[in-house]
Amino acid sequence: MSANDRPMFVLAGTEGGDLRSLEDYRRVGGYVSLEKARQMGREAVLEEINKASLRGRGGAGFPMGQKASFLPSPEQAHGPIYLVVNADESEPGAFKDREIIVRVPHRLIEGIEIAAAAIGARACFVYIRGEYLSEYEILMAALAEAEGAGLVSVPIVVHRGAGAYICGEETALFESLEGKRGMPRSKPPFPAISGLYSDPTLINNVETLATVPKIIEIGGGAYAKIGVEGSTGTRLFSLSGNVIRGGNYELPHGATFRELIHDCGGGIPEGRKLKAIIPGGSSTSILTADQIDTPMDYDSLQKAGSFLGSASVIVIDERACMVQLALRVTQFYMNESCGECTPCREGTRWLELLLRKIEEGRASRAELDLLLDVCDRVLGKCLCPLGDSNAMVVASYVDHFREEFEAHVEQGGCPFGDSSSLAGVRSPVDEIYRGRVGQEATL
Amino acid sequence: MSNSELVTVTIDGRQVQVPKGTGLVEAAAAAGVEIPVFCYEPRLGPAVGACRMCLVEIEGRPELQTGCTTPVEDGMVVHTAQSSEQAAQGQNATIEFLLLNHPLDCPVCDKGGECPLQDLSFRYGPGKTRMTFRKRSLEKPIPISPTIALDRERCILCYRCTRFSQEVAEDEELVAVNRGALSMIATFEEEPYRGPFSGNVVELCPVGALTSTQYRFLARPWEYERAASVCGLCAVGCNVTVQSREGKVQRVLSRNHPEIDRGWLCDKGRFSYSHLYSEERILAPRRRGARELEELGWEEALNELEGMIERAQGEVVLALSGTETLELAYSLAKVVRQGAASDRVVLPEQALGVLDPFRVPVSALAEAEEIVVFEECPLLDRAPLVELWLKQARRNGARVTRIGPSGEIQRAPGEAAVACRELAEKGSELGQRLRGADRVVLLWSGGGGAGGAHLAALAHALGLHEKEGSGALHLPSTPNARGVAEAWAAAGEENRQSGQIGLLLVSGDEAASNPQVRQLAERARTTVALTLFAGDSGEWADLVLPATSYLEREGTMRNLEGRLQRLRGATSAPVRPELAWLAELAGRLSVTLPDSAAAVFAELSAKALDGISLSSLSARAPLPPRAEAKAVQAPAAEAPPTVRGGPLELIRYRALFSGPEVEHVPELSFQRPAPEVEISPEDADRRGIVDGTEVVVRSNGTSVRVRARINVSLLPGAVRVAAEHCSELARGVEVSKP
Repeated sequence: MSANDRPMFVLAGTEGGDLRSLEDYRRVGGYVSLEKARQMGREAVLEEINKASLRGRGGAGFPMGQKASFLPSPEQAHGPIYLVVNADESEPGAFKDREIIVRVPHRLIEGIEIAAAAIGARACFVYIRGEYLSEYEILMAALAEAEGAGLVSVPIVVHRGAGAYICGEETALFESLEGKRGMPRSKPPFPAISGLYSDPTLINNVETLATVPKIIEIGGGAYAKIGVEGSTGTRLFSLSGNVIRGGNYELPHGATFRELIHDCGGGIPEGRKLKAIIPGGSSTSILTADQIDTPMDYDSLQKAGSFLGSASVIVIDERACMVQLALRVTQFYMNESCGECTPCREGTRWLELLLRKIEEGRASRAELDLLLDVCDRVLGKCLCPLGDSNAMVVASYVDHFREEFEAHVEQGGCPFGDSSSLAGVRSPVDEIYRGRVGQEATL
Repeated sequence: MSNSELVTVTIDGRQVQVPKGTGLVEAAAAAGVEIPVFCYEPRLGPAVGACRMCLVEIEGRPELQTGCTTPVEDGMVVHTAQSSEQAAQGQNATIEFLLLNHPLDCPVCDKGGECPLQDLSFRYGPGKTRMTFRKRSLEKPIPISPTIALDRERCILCYRCTRFSQEVAEDEELVAVNRGALSMIATFEEEPYRGPFSGNVVELCPVGALTSTQYRFLARPWEYERAASVCGLCAVGCNVTVQSREGKVQRVLSRNHPEIDRGWLCDKGRFSYSHLYSEERILAPRRRGARELEELGWEEALNELEGMIERAQGEVVLALSGTETLELAYSLAKVVRQGAASDRVVLPEQALGVLDPFRVPVSALAEAEEIVVFEECPLLDRAPLVELWLKQARRNGARVTRIGPSGEIQRAPGEAAVACRELAEKGSELGQRLRGADRVVLLWSGGGGAGGAHLAALAHALGLHEKEGSGALHLPSTPNARGVAEAWAAAGEENRQSGQIGLLLVSGDEAASNPQVRQLAERARTTVALTLFAGDSGEWADLVLPATSYLEREGTMRNLEGRLQRLRGATSAPVRPELAWLAELAGRLSVTLPDSAAAVFAELSAKALDGISLSSLSARAPLPPRAEAKAVQAPAAEAPPTVRGGPLELIRYRALFSGPEVEHVPELSFQRPAPEVEISPEDADRRGIVDGTEVVVRSNGTSVRVRARINVSLLPGAVRVAAEHCSELARGVEVSKP
């Protein structure tokens, strides 16, 4: 499939440039779907979303229509219903929501207003990643324009996060939005029953909501014909790592990694060999080079032993040391663990210490087994998916690249010497945990 | 509970029927199966599932589940660590993770021997460590207040303490800072944890991370002798366990009476015990000598007292504090009424049985829909646990209306009785709302309540005697006001009264600091004071007799609900117990009076308590049934006294952290009321005063220098100063810059 006949939904109309102003967005048919949705009525809008089988784009892939169906109707609800937009895009490898906000902010606003009206929301809250300052400003400008044009009937409040990965987890996001320390809540109850301020809440990712206008435009049935069964429609893939043209590419579900990496991304620089693929952000199990023809949809990736997650594809070439990768990823989770539940708080740190020891060639074979056992003891025992993610991916690195881990033990050091592309790539957590902040570290 | 509301669950092969919605931890307990927990504590609000100790396997669910956050469902099949390898591994993992960085200083840890982490490690832990790295080391201990030390290395981050601070005490002073493995408990910017309920976090802590500075490193838990007693510092009467080692009280813990305290204590009740060992305590009788008070022996002291009584010829006045047990008050009263043939008494306050038809446990507040507080004296200062129940009520959705100088409905001091009468009238909007509600509780906190009569009239008008869960409580300012009045009434018949005062017998420090009693002392020919410390009374008493403390006394007290509770002396007093020498004195005056609390109680009970036995007051005393309701006529509301001396009306209040016991505990000095005057923004503006300005409060030649604190909820025209900073200020004052 060439770039020209690829269907474009989320980024439609941006071929000629960004659509930041209301005028530009209107020129490509913007806000027509909102008007249409208002005429269709609540039930009909939800029906189209259901027919589209739109799965959430944040990472978990839960169908949006089904999630909305768990909400009480505005008539049944005892208090307000809220729509919360998760724009706290923090998954390492993910930068697609940013693209939407920067290039077509009005499409997000349109999607929010359609969804908010469909569930009878009293207010919408956009929780945007704190580091996204210019994105925040673009969104606020677009929102002011939309409000000025009378397009916003359910009020939208945009709130900036303060720099915590965990606040992308929906219940921690609610806590943070409520002004509390961002720590996840135990589920159930799920947000549809007790979400923001303990009221029924629908929470969706930016991309999910930005897809809604197109579904209303072409109809859920037509939308569901794009992509593959179980993974309908297009997806904005964030491509990064050892690839010539990294960036966001909108492809239908079911396209393969090869199409993304080679056709879109121009392949790996300097003819180096592919070593591994992280398919859906740092929280998904790693794939090996021979899995490059795997189609990028939920079922195929599950069969391949991983997950589509946030569709953030990180390409890793032959120069990377997998122990260093595991260490770097683990440092991220250790630093981002909120500290609430025991296995995550203690386990991620233990994994980091063990991986560091392995990387430095000081570990025994028994400690490699211990590493896996610690993963096993974290996995499935945490309050939220953060600790699980760390344990699962580290186990997948060892699973697929065991000989490399063993080589570290046997050779008493990193077989790559200083030549690994990840050498020296460490998290600032290194300094934070060893108490050197302000002395030699520059953050 | 009807069968239709029961569900059946199977836990480790044992079937159990429990009410629908029961938590899995409780359901398992009902089946005789332990699901171990650290963070779970139902009193702290919704379970959070943080520690992961309670992981269990539930058939049909792919992952382990936390028992604490899972309500049971009909037909649920659960396997705990006893019958599931997966659950056992989960719990084993939790313990292993918790111990990774936990210091093994158990031999010198205060918690050792009563530590859930020790106990659960023993039962569920791996037994050996696989941690080969250096443990996390942190600065310790951190004094988070003068009463509490925090050892962050021992902390297992169960967040019980921060949840208490946020969800129960609502002081929000204790928080977690940082994240991940560096998360730690802290106060904001290292300010001391000042909340009046802070000590509860020591008891909640499942490890030795939060310890009491008063008892750190003093004893091992298994060395304690435990007395199941009742706190005698206010009218709530929280149930406590007083623990002592080798005759010395080492700590006071809660004993959880679910209707009274729910297992919480205020810091005054928890930390005041060390007053027992103050160097200023009087240990022997003292007599006014040529220049000062001189010690004398008991034989001589009793001779002296007997002589004083004889010389007084029936002109004896007894002043009671309301801190006495019924037995002590009865013994004193019997000596005065029968031994000295006098009938004159100064009772601490008016406390009647008029509210008995509207009797409810304090815990009724938690279930109430509507609560009205006539609050001239802040609940917190008068009956701290009631304030905690009120917070619970608000969280449960109750509408709370405070009527008083800083209430939602602002009324000037002294107007509570008028407000009460207005509510009873048909035209009152709030009154209508109360009539329509199912569960209403009325509270009176302040003076001028006519012993609860105003409140009783309102309660009757609202029909609260007919509504289950509704009622009215009058909060006396002293712990046993009603009890001592009953004891006095039971101890004799009418004798003669005369205007002369041959002998004034002052029992306790409350009475000694009562201005009315001071005036009597000036008129009395001789004065005897019964006191713990050589305080004010030492300056004017002719004979000072050492008193025992509530922690040393056997006997009973009647709390604000009208519940009779038993004090068990936790330790023998370093002074001769009052009941013993009063019995001897009575004998010399030809009056029979037993010398033990049990025997005195029996005599008193036969006369005035329907003959109930001491043993019927079980460890957790029951609430007596409601009395028959009679139409109650509201007493005439006294007109508030004319304010003289200045334009602002002074509200003089007794702060929670005041009184002779607190004053003798150095660790609590940081909690004592600051020398400040609370003033409304309007009155402050008019005088050019801002928050923190040093001001002078003056009236009739008295002036005190304090700082101004702007209180936005205070009624203009009123100012508040803690009694200990009031000096001799009159009711009307002026506040100005010096």
